Amino acid sequence: MNDIFQLKESEQRYRALFENNPDLVLFQNREGVIRDANPAYLAVLQRPKDEVVGHHFNEFLPPSLHALFAQKLREAFEGHKVYFDAEVHFVGTSNALRVAVTKVPLVVEGTIAGVYAVLRDVTEVYQSHLVIREQAHKLNTIFESITDAFFVLDHNWRFAYINGEVERLLNVNREHLLGQYLQDVFPADENEIFHQHFRRALDTNQAVHFEAFFRRRALWLDIKAFPSEEGLSVYFSNVTDKVKSQEELYRQNQDLQQFTYIVSHNLRAPLANAIGLVDLLNSLDRDSADYQPTLNNLRTSTQQLDNVLRDMNTILSIRDKQDVDEPEHVPLADVVEQARRNLAEPIAQCGGEVVMDLPAGLSVLGNRAYLYSIFFNLLSNSIKYRSEERRLRVTVSATAQPGAGVRVLFADNGSGFDVDKAGPDVFRLYKRFHTSQPGRGMGLYLVKTHVETMGGRIEVSSTVNAGTCFTLHLR
Amino acid sequence: METLLIDDDSIGVFLTERLLKREGFAENLASFASAQQALEFLQNAPLHELPQVIFLDLNMPVMDGWDFLTALKPQEEALLGRCYIFILTSSLAHSDAERIHEFPLVAGLIRKPLDGEQIQNVRAQLEAALNSK
Repeated sequence: MNDIFQLKESEQRYRALFENNPDLVLFQNREGVIRDANPAYLAVLQRPKDEVVGHHFNEFLPPSLHALFAQKLREAFEGHKVYFDAEVHFVGTSNALRVAVTKVPLVVEGTIAGVYAVLRDVTEVYQSHLVIREQAHKLNTIFESITDAFFVLDHNWRFAYINGEVERLLNVNREHLLGQYLQDVFPADENEIFHQHFRRALDTNQAVHFEAFFRRRALWLDIKAFPSEEGLSVYFSNVTDKVKSQEELYRQNQDLQQFTYIVSHNLRAPLANAIGLVDLLNSLDRDSADYQPTLNNLRTSTQQLDNVLRDMNTILSIRDKQDVDEPEHVPLADVVEQARRNLAEPIAQCGGEVVMDLPAGLSVLGNRAYLYSIFFNLLSNSIKYRSEERRLRVTVSATAQPGAGVRVLFADNGSGFDVDKAGPDVFRLYKRFHTSQPGRGMGLYLVKTHVETMGGRIEVSSTVNAGTCFTLHLR
Repeated sequence: METLLIDDDSIGVFLTERLLKREGFAENLASFASAQQALEFLQNAPLHELPQVIFLDLNMPVMDGWDFLTALKPQEEALLGRCYIFILTSSLAHSDAERIHEFPLVAGLIRKPLDGEQIQNVRAQLEAALNSK
């Protein structure tokens, strides 16, 4: 009696669940015929119960879905609980539904009596997922397509988003970076300025904008960082070229100012002498002892004036040609030998020697005339500023630096000069460092200009009374 | 007047010497082609051998005119009132004219070429200074 009562109560509970379930619930036999359907399902089909129950489920399904549902039904009759999603447009209804389907086998005394199918309408959820996914995709497309590099740091300073430009510019892999702490990837001690600005942005909740040098990749970056709810959004771009050209412009401006000053100085010196000598000549008697020397000095002064103008022309023509000439491979031994041969006479006169230690076939990328000029000027200086206490000995040696061009050492045992005192002035136009020998202060300026025009560098070391050594880094 | 020229340019020295002679400015005239040698001389010379006037060029190798004046600072007190330095330069830079105020020994700046009128002015300036002592 109690059992029967309980059974009855259980059946009523089940009926209530079945009848009131907002999900579409139906009960199918092995053949797929609908044995029972709840009101929610009937409402969707807009049919009375007798038009549904006793009919095959396929009658209400579009043909394209027959196979899928039949397959899932079979799986359920094999005793599995089956889940799947489908988009269903029930026959005779106006809208397609996105449904999450659960098929549960009903086991009665060890055999499967039928299968309950619960179809949950997830159309709205699905659509809002779609919208979210679409927006995320759009956002991602935007962050990938902007030319700026972009990343997001969360409030714990971990990488939460990284776009492709970041990977490219910083040479990193976003898979490795995501979730990592900024400090672990780019430690503060070598990237201090970045950390400082980011911290300021987060502390003050204000956007920051700065330019900084990123040492690891040798790049100048222009960076904007915006604090937000997610943390910190950081945009940056590579402005190395801009910074470099600004520096170049600044340097050229400096050069120009220096050049103007020096030229006016050195142009004016012989000119002032010439004016004075003309004045003096005017007051001298033709027969006086001073007349001829004054005239000679006047001639020398005008020649000096001409020299300065010629120097200017030489320098300007190098600067003009800078971008025109294609570099060529010039055998180093050839140009050094050419300079040595053309200076053979003064070398022999002072009993000096030039020792060349240049690997056969070693060549540098540049301009033959400039290379000749470089070695001619260096060798001329060595002869001019040799020590009177010993025989001049010049050694020229070179080694190829794999991947870094050619390094040439040009050393002499001459009188040398005080590097600390001369500093960067050694290579300046019309700067002179010896009082005992005449000179215009043009040679080393030309050497440096030629080296730099070919994309190289020159350094000097010297010891008074021991000698001078130039190191040339050529391409 | 005891006069010293400091100029590395031999033509400059030739010209200044002849002009000073022409104007009857200097009976005793010596010259140094390097500021270092001149400095050594001034540091070691007894007081009565010090020149009354020094014409100093600015643009010289190794030690230029300004270096020379700076190196002379320790002697400044001893030389002041005995030794008048005139800078004689071909430069037209305005900065030079401002810088002379750092050096009390410098009595004036003359832009090359030196001429008769400038020499007479120097003479007048020196005589006034010597008479007022």
